[in-house]
Amino acid sequence: MPLFSKTQDKTPLGIYVHVPFCRSKCQYCDFYSLTAKDDKLMDGYLNAVVTHIREAGPQAPGYRVDTIYFGGGTPSFFGADGLATILAAIRRSFDVDYNAEITFEANPDSVSDGFLKRMKAEGFNRVSLGVQTDDDALLKKLGRPHDYAQAVAAVSRIRKAGFKNLSLDLMYGLPGQTLTAWKDTLERVLTLQPEHISCYGLKVEEGTPLYAYKDFCHLPSDDTQADMYLAAVDILRSKGFRQYEISNFARKGLYARHNMKYWTGGEYLGFGPNASSDFAGKRFTIVRDLQGYINGMKTGGEVLQEIDEIPLRERAGEYLMLRLRTSVGINREEYERKFLLPFDPIEAALEKDRSFGHAVKGEDGRWRLTPKGYLISNTLISDLMVIQDKSQQLKRFNT
Amino acid sequence: MTDLSHIRNFSIIAHIDHGKSTLADRLLEQCNAVEKREMEDQILDSMDLERERGITIKATAVQMDYCADDGETYDLNLIDTPGHVDFNYEVSRSLAACEGAVLVVDASQGVEAQTLANTFLAADSGLEVLPVINKIDLPSARPAEAKAEIEDILCIPAEDAPEISAKNGINIHAVLEMIVRGVPAPRGDRSAPLQALIFDSQYDSYRGVIVYARIKQGTVRPGMDIKMMATGAVYKVVEVGTMRPKGLTPRDALGAGEVGYITASIKTVSDTRVGDTITGVENPAAEPLPGYRPVQPMVYSGIYPADGARYQDLRDALEKLKLNDAAFVYEPESSIALGFGFRCGFLGLLHMEIIQERLEREYNLDLITTAPNVVYRVTKTNGQVIMVDNPLDYPDPMEIELAEEPYVRVNLMSPQEYVGNIMDLATNRRGIFKDMVYLDANRVELHYEMPLNEIIYDFFDALKSRTRGYGSLDYELIGYRPSKLVKLDILLNGDIVDALSFILFADNAYPRARKICEKLKENIPRAQFEIPIQAAIGGKIIARETIKAVRKDVLAKCYGGDITRKKKLLEKQKEGKKRMRTFGTVSVPSEAFMAVLKLDDD
Repeated sequence: MPLFSKTQDKTPLGIYVHVPFCRSKCQYCDFYSLTAKDDKLMDGYLNAVVTHIREAGPQAPGYRVDTIYFGGGTPSFFGADGLATILAAIRRSFDVDYNAEITFEANPDSVSDGFLKRMKAEGFNRVSLGVQTDDDALLKKLGRPHDYAQAVAAVSRIRKAGFKNLSLDLMYGLPGQTLTAWKDTLERVLTLQPEHISCYGLKVEEGTPLYAYKDFCHLPSDDTQADMYLAAVDILRSKGFRQYEISNFARKGLYARHNMKYWTGGEYLGFGPNASSDFAGKRFTIVRDLQGYINGMKTGGEVLQEIDEIPLRERAGEYLMLRLRTSVGINREEYERKFLLPFDPIEAALEKDRSFGHAVKGEDGRWRLTPKGYLISNTLISDLMVIQDKSQQLKRFNT
Repeated sequence: MTDLSHIRNFSIIAHIDHGKSTLADRLLEQCNAVEKREMEDQILDSMDLERERGITIKATAVQMDYCADDGETYDLNLIDTPGHVDFNYEVSRSLAACEGAVLVVDASQGVEAQTLANTFLAADSGLEVLPVINKIDLPSARPAEAKAEIEDILCIPAEDAPEISAKNGINIHAVLEMIVRGVPAPRGDRSAPLQALIFDSQYDSYRGVIVYARIKQGTVRPGMDIKMMATGAVYKVVEVGTMRPKGLTPRDALGAGEVGYITASIKTVSDTRVGDTITGVENPAAEPLPGYRPVQPMVYSGIYPADGARYQDLRDALEKLKLNDAAFVYEPESSIALGFGFRCGFLGLLHMEIIQERLEREYNLDLITTAPNVVYRVTKTNGQVIMVDNPLDYPDPMEIELAEEPYVRVNLMSPQEYVGNIMDLATNRRGIFKDMVYLDANRVELHYEMPLNEIIYDFFDALKSRTRGYGSLDYELIGYRPSKLVKLDILLNGDIVDALSFILFADNAYPRARKICEKLKENIPRAQFEIPIQAAIGGKIIARETIKAVRKDVLAKCYGGDITRKKKLLEKQKEGKKRMRTFGTVSVPSEAFMAVLKLDDD
């Protein structure tokens, strides 16, 4: 299947639902989620999201939804009834493709057989399971509410329920983790035979509990983290996975179609607190406050905290920033046609990156970063953005 | 013209922060020279920079009318002086325009280093020094002790010194009365040949140069032909007048004893040098007033636009600054590394910083400044003697017969507890100790001879930090002396960056080279390849550091919600890179150029 497909003459649209509830908060997490099990709040959330979806549907007449993603938080913790209600609302208000990819995120401690059976019946067809590591001591340290045995059991229940598209989330660069330990983890997790794996380097974000003791918890050095990353790329490749984004690997054709939209400039609408959208040339984010969201939906008040109209000039920067994260890469024809900017200076810089083994030009003429290039992608992409800005100035000067 | 007996010309001198500018404001207010509502803090320091740094950069003068207790009205001319060693010459000329000085001493701090230095300067100019004890409303005020210190250390009677608070307007009247009674009335013959001392000048786009002068002898009036005795320039006077707080006020004439301004369609301030004497073309004075010294830039550095496209803007800005600053010189130069820019000469480092800041603020320019250097004198083997103000012009060692560098006599004043620190510092900077004088039980003055080069980098900062701010410094050029000099080149990734080359004393080359390499390593961002930094003298590498290639600089996770945030991060990185200059393959941020100047660690 091609990476971007237009279903008939309608524009494809992704839908993201943010479910901001968790059993407990992980030490490294800076996503918006609440840990109190408060039925009233959960009901309020459900009503707000459903209302929001109903209001938004008519705004997108020319679109067909081909991906839906329930992220969090922990959607599995919210329960099948609620998720089913939201999905039903989406189907009622939007034109959802029969072939749509419908994903939910789950934690190993909240996927019972009954839950999974129901989800499958509702039409969910992809599961993203948070495993993170096989080291129970580390899982505990990170505040994960499960051990590795539970993750293994969860995988087999997910398979038994009939899900054929399973993604596992792993983390490297964890406190005290060694390169050898990480390789072993990866090999062991691969025996679970997922279709898709995400490997994220731990990033200690300000404001998370981990931030307070980041200097004492033996985080691996940048060099070790780089080695871990390159080891993961090697191992996964040898097992038949394709790296289609900096941190994402999939068996042939089974890349996350929803996430790919983020990186290739596809359109998506987000529902729930702190969810983001990129729709009709604007990018906007909902308030990071559940009560505020609920009240806003009840009273018709403002629920957006940020709206950015993204001019073409910025889209040109985003094209570099996002596309070069992926194996789609960039090419001359696309760049010059979309942004009316010269590709020569960009290509000259990429040639230099290639001389250091950080970029490659495929036989199809597309430029991509190599795994070593991905590792320093900020450096490489910001260099290209400087060059692009210079062309922008010239362009303004000439017109 | 006001009768000589009803004129008082004075300045205010003080240690920094003892309240000089605040007192000036209060005096103006009391004389109803300015309405309270028009009062902006520190009216004399009109430049933003002056207010921010709490220093006076340019001399200013203002005239106020004071109706004294004896029923008479006096013209009080306050001439404010700059307060930094870079401008010592300008200070001495401003003081030469006065008959008295009000010495402000903080009631809790007492006499301090600058109090001393400024008092000596004033006394040298033959001024009557009248002490005032300020900040008496502070709980820590000890006016009696402050007075005793003034008498003991400065040998100035202080018994009757007014005790005031400039901030709260307490006892300002007493200061005004003291000025009337204590500052001698000026003397002079208004029918004698004209002698007017220029103590400042300013460029105005409508009137041309406005010359601020003190008339010592004779009278000047519009229509008269005048001549600048040092520069020889001749002009016809258009207007004369006095500086009132609300602006320039024309008068029929200015006579001996008076302070005022003269305009004469003068196009450039270079014709109206501070310290020069104005006389009449007909009936000229036999000789100029004493003390004139042509300004000599002491320090040179290259100034380049960070964005090469703004060269023209930089040139226009320099032209405008030059209109108002005769001490500042510049000429175009070019560097392989930095492109087109200017070689600029300054009185000292503060002067350099001021020019730089004004260019950046008032003209909105991003600049790259190269390491400042003094002017070296080189005698070549063929007998030719050249003055080198740019490291790029330094001859090949094989062609050098004799290299000389300028030396200065340095006077350092400090409380005696810091003498050890000062001696360490001076010795490190190749100072030759001359003598040490105890000014009183606690204060000492040290005399050194030192290469000027050692002072221009960060000596003043180093002195301040080693004396907890109490040390003060004053220096004057005493001539050239032979020296062992070498030119140090810096190589990035194998290429010489000419803009980083500089000349230094050979024995300092190794430690200095090591430090510069370290500093550059800290300031140059890692690239996707390894960057060697080397320091070399004539092709021989004497120091080396390596910036390792960056291995990890990645945003691992990038979901829908994060795109805006991550984009900002990359935008920031992009903007940072735009401010860098690329040398061959290496990008260097402009801060790196400044960082190599600040090598003093403690």
